[in-house]
Amino acid sequence: MRRFYLIGFTLLMLFDTLGQCSFKLTGIRAAPPEFSVDWLIRIFTTPWVYVAIAGYIGAFFTWMTLLKRAPVGPAFAASHFEVVTVMVASIWLFGEAITLPRLAGAILIVSGIVCLALAEKQLATKHDAA
Amino acid sequence: MNSLVLSLWAGNVFCDTLGQIAFKLAAIAPGNRDGMQYWLDLVRRPWLWVGVFAYVFEFLLWLAFLTLVPLSEGILLGSVNIIAVMVVGRFLFRERVTPLRLTGILLVAAGVVVVGAF
Repeated sequence: MRRFYLIGFTLLMLFDTLGQCSFKLTGIRAAPPEFSVDWLIRIFTTPWVYVAIAGYIGAFFTWMTLLKRAPVGPAFAASHFEVVTVMVASIWLFGEAITLPRLAGAILIVSGIVCLALAEKQLATKHDAA
Repeated sequence: MNSLVLSLWAGNVFCDTLGQIAFKLAAIAPGNRDGMQYWLDLVRRPWLWVGVFAYVFEFLLWLAFLTLVPLSEGILLGSVNIIAVMVVGRFLFRERVTPLRLTGILLVAAGVVVVGAF
């Protein structure tokens, strides 16, 4: 079970981060945004838009596999680790700034994920004992 | 916040929660097989399509919402969705809300607010 969650959430974060970063790259390549056929052509001739779509499809399949066993409430909260992975990727890829609130928020999210992981461990131990 | 913003907001929380609940219902439907056949079973579950439709509709509501509200305020909405899915999961699927789980969920929700709002 531990392995299932670990592999599942790692894949989910990879697909989500790949999807978001590729959308950003698509937006940059297709700039300036405008409601025109030209803009749509620029979007769909950018390879990154297809990487973004692939990322979303991968995330969907991973999420539906996780939901077979994971409780949806805690799992949905844990999936927000994406906020942190996308933030780190944007600092590296797009040179976005690390501000104090962003850092503080990332620390809060990571602490929350640690609590959720400990909660699963605790429940699994109780289950084994029962 | 005027009533239009408020109803868009409520609609967004509703669609996000409905979408997650529908996906969960589709994933645990009795008769779902394992492996590749899981995906064949899944496309035949009406709840899967309820979930997909909820997400498409939510996307439109989100776009409308963001034209009226700054993104930093809009992000707050995401953290309300986290709490809403937890509450519905508790009552619909009898998911246990242990003190450690509650702490984790609240920390993640607070983190999302802090990242987005400041």
